[in-house]
Amino acid sequence: MFDIQLPAFLEPVINTFRYAPLVIQLAMIFIVIAAVGTLLAYFSILRNRYLGNRRDKRLAKLLPKIDNLIIDEVLTHPEAETVPADQVVLNLDAFQELPLDKKWARSALTERIIHFRRNVRGNMGLLLRSLYMQLELDKDAMKKMKSGHWEKKVQALTEFTNMDMSVADVTILPLTNSRNRELRAAARHAYIKLSKNEPFKFFDVVTEPLLMWDQVELLRIISTTEDIAIPNFARWVTYSSNKSVVSFCLKLIVHYNQLPAVPAVIKLLDTKDHYLRADAINCLGKLQVPDVEDKLVSIYSTQPLHCQIEILKAIGRISSGRHIDFLKLEFLHSTDFDLRKSAAKSLVKNDWIAKQVIEELMATATPENLRILKHCMNPLIKY
Amino acid sequence: MSGILEILGKIYQSAIFVYGLVLLLVYALLAIFSRLAVRQYTRKNSLHQRDLLSSSPLAPGITILAPAFNEGMTIISNVRSLLTLNYPRYEIVLINDGSTDNTMEQLITEFKMVEVAYAYNVKIRTQPVRKIFKSTDPAYASLIVIDKVNGKSKADAVNAGINLATFNYFVCTDVDCILDKDTLLELILPVMQEENKRVIAVGATLRIANSCEFDEGVMTRMRPPRQLLPRFQEVEYIRSFVLGKMGWSYINCVPNVSGGLGLFDKEVATRCGGYDHSSFGEDMELLTRMCRYAHDNEIDYAIRYIPKTLCWTEAPATLKIFNRQRTRWARGLAQLMYSHFHMFMNPRYGKMGLIIFPFNFFFELLAPLVEFSGIIVYIVLAVTGNINWPYALLLLLFVYLYSVMITTISIVWDQLSFRYYKSWWEVAYLCMTPFMEFLIYHPLIVLYSLRGYYYFLTGKKSTWGNMQRQGFGKKKIK
Amino acid sequence: MFIHIVYGTNAATMSKILLIEDDEIMPKIVARILPSSEYELDHVSNGKEAFEKLESTQYGYDLIITDIMMPYANGFEILSKVKSQPRPIPVIIVSNAGNEDMVMEGFKLGADDFLKKPIIPAELMIRVKRLLMKNK
Repeated sequence: MFDIQLPAFLEPVINTFRYAPLVIQLAMIFIVIAAVGTLLAYFSILRNRYLGNRRDKRLAKLLPKIDNLIIDEVLTHPEAETVPADQVVLNLDAFQELPLDKKWARSALTERIIHFRRNVRGNMGLLLRSLYMQLELDKDAMKKMKSGHWEKKVQALTEFTNMDMSVADVTILPLTNSRNRELRAAARHAYIKLSKNEPFKFFDVVTEPLLMWDQVELLRIISTTEDIAIPNFARWVTYSSNKSVVSFCLKLIVHYNQLPAVPAVIKLLDTKDHYLRADAINCLGKLQVPDVEDKLVSIYSTQPLHCQIEILKAIGRISSGRHIDFLKLEFLHSTDFDLRKSAAKSLVKNDWIAKQVIEELMATATPENLRILKHCMNPLIKY
Repeated sequence: MSGILEILGKIYQSAIFVYGLVLLLVYALLAIFSRLAVRQYTRKNSLHQRDLLSSSPLAPGITILAPAFNEGMTIISNVRSLLTLNYPRYEIVLINDGSTDNTMEQLITEFKMVEVAYAYNVKIRTQPVRKIFKSTDPAYASLIVIDKVNGKSKADAVNAGINLATFNYFVCTDVDCILDKDTLLELILPVMQEENKRVIAVGATLRIANSCEFDEGVMTRMRPPRQLLPRFQEVEYIRSFVLGKMGWSYINCVPNVSGGLGLFDKEVATRCGGYDHSSFGEDMELLTRMCRYAHDNEIDYAIRYIPKTLCWTEAPATLKIFNRQRTRWARGLAQLMYSHFHMFMNPRYGKMGLIIFPFNFFFELLAPLVEFSGIIVYIVLAVTGNINWPYALLLLLFVYLYSVMITTISIVWDQLSFRYYKSWWEVAYLCMTPFMEFLIYHPLIVLYSLRGYYYFLTGKKSTWGNMQRQGFGKKKIK
Repeated sequence: MFIHIVYGTNAATMSKILLIEDDEIMPKIVARILPSSEYELDHVSNGKEAFEKLESTQYGYDLIITDIMMPYANGFEILSKVKSQPRPIPVIIVSNAGNEDMVMEGFKLGADDFLKKPIIPAELMIRVKRLLMKNK
């Protein structure tokens, strides 16, 4: 094994190794590994810092140029606000001073355009998009779409979504069923934003739960896409068997104040899942549907605690003034602290009619209840 | 007689051999896992635009709990920096734990606070709350100040805050910690992106503030500590968070979320009784109980860590305070192992019982004892002339280099994803530290740990003055 | 200066606007929307600088455009301080906050207008003009 010619000074080392017990042999091997590993570690730190600093320096030089060009050629374009974006002729030659033959420079420019678009919309936003297209910056993303790497595909999809670039349904749809969760989610978001046919189609088919984060992204996309046709979300509240879709649609119903969806939401009160039921109650409260109060009060006594709290809150939000006695009774007789607090809060929200009741309660309440009332009436306290 | 000794010696030797080998392997695995976990994080980071959340109506509410004891020097700027965190829906509950300086007065005048009748439910028993304050200026509407009787522990103060917390998640920190402005966004993300499990706690990397530059509670320049003792701690923190906690996080086996900064699921934390004020390591103790609660109630839970540094804390710069801190930590560990020992190797507690607990028992709790015994055996053998010096030195060199490598690797992971510090000189400076750590810093820790165990065994009624509590006022002792 | 004299506009009639914004691009866009021939635009990037600027000029601005979430002092604090002055300066909040609570909070503190990012340039222009007119 050690027959290879070795420098003489290593000989004692080799000999020690050969005749040492196993432990020592292992130790010697690991000494070499550790020393080499540490050196490699130093090297990778140096390399990483060098590359990073170089990137930073390049960008520090490039970005002001990009900014100036975008401002001079796009934002300050004499026709920027008067002529429709697709008819404006941009001076693309000016951008030739950027090293756009380099990939890093192109991606920096793309990122900057997206950054601008995050701050400004309207015709200027469209003009920025047209700059992106005319400089053919979308080609890189197209290439990424074809890459076998899911990460690249996600990047490309996000870029298209941000830039409002239409992509054929046939390209996106297969990806919405990808085995990779991240890719699947990105494809769905892109589909909602970019598909001209049925943007909400995937609500029908999705079986796995929508994560909280997905919902944040979805809501952002739905609410910022300008020419999207908002459907009646009651459809999924009624038919979807995916609880997270139902729960998300309830939030959308509130967001778009979809009163026509109310009957479907009321029907959901009969669901066996009490988390969904609580969401439905919450939704009805926020929509301020007065007709539903009686129903809520009638089911109150059979509900689990968190649904009861939602019912009390809903009555406060609706503030019809018709269930003051119910709130008062709950406030006086409930043993649970949170129920009493929610009841008190809702009473205070009904104070346009419940003033007298509140005063009466203030005069007779136990010290703890009095504190609750004071808490709820204090404008400095939010929750 | 000598025969028995020889057999004992053999057994001891093989036991130590196995012990060392396992430890070695564990660290090698942690190095790999942590790399994977850090990669996963940076990848997610690049794909998701996190400031989406800061503008979303769907952001979950978070309560920040910040206990303060005699923090008069820095309280205003620190509360100010909490008020400017980048998050759309949060409240700050500042707990004045019976300060004897002007902390309370400063808060009242600076933020125009008035006493309010705040109704809350005492779910966890604490020392009495004297008064609760809110600001009359709507600009500070998210701030609540609790003035309570000193409970002689951070645990008691935080518990009082938990009772008041409105939201489902709370972030526990120390008021003298400096937080990154994206702390809340970062900490809630693992909760929102987890697929099947319920995330009950999230932690992040802590770092040493000693030589960093701050401006009114905002970190402006990161620097490795100039003094040796804090620098040792910086290196130790990087290793323990970026390599240790991240590695454990990868296999969902996080043993502890540091008291300096952590996000917790309020329901689980409250249900299992909140922090234990009699514990010397209340953060780890709470997490152990939360895991137990989750197992007992069949909650499929996860605890996550993120590698980004979100919190800077002032490290003890003198041996005296450092000694106190580590003695306390060791005592806390012993206490914890003792009171939860039935979880040891108990399959009922899943990974907690089969991996985390045994690891902590053998390689955290026993390590100082094993090392100490090793040194004694060494000395005895040396005196009796039974040492094969070349072999012994080789072994020592091996352990030394291996520990240097592991620490350096953790610095690499940290550098690869964040490129902290301004110049590579500062990183080089940091990289020199592990070479001394083994010889200077490590023996100290062994010593202080043994002292902590001794106090635990003798049940020394320590006169924990307020100054001695970790995280509180340690700055002022200097 | 020469041009100002020729055209009869000078610093006294130009509207002074303070922009408080930590995004690096937004100020460039705003500077483009509000031409320097009509507006004197000062930009600071955090709450601390904003207060310094306001104090050094004795709150000598005709309009403030501010973001909400910024280091050192958030938009609410700035609003509250500005609105408690004897001569309250009109304030427009420009933010990406989609959280209604935050917008409400802003109005409660006396914000005069709210614009959500991304903004439409013409809209900002109109609102700036309207507020300046009202307070002339």
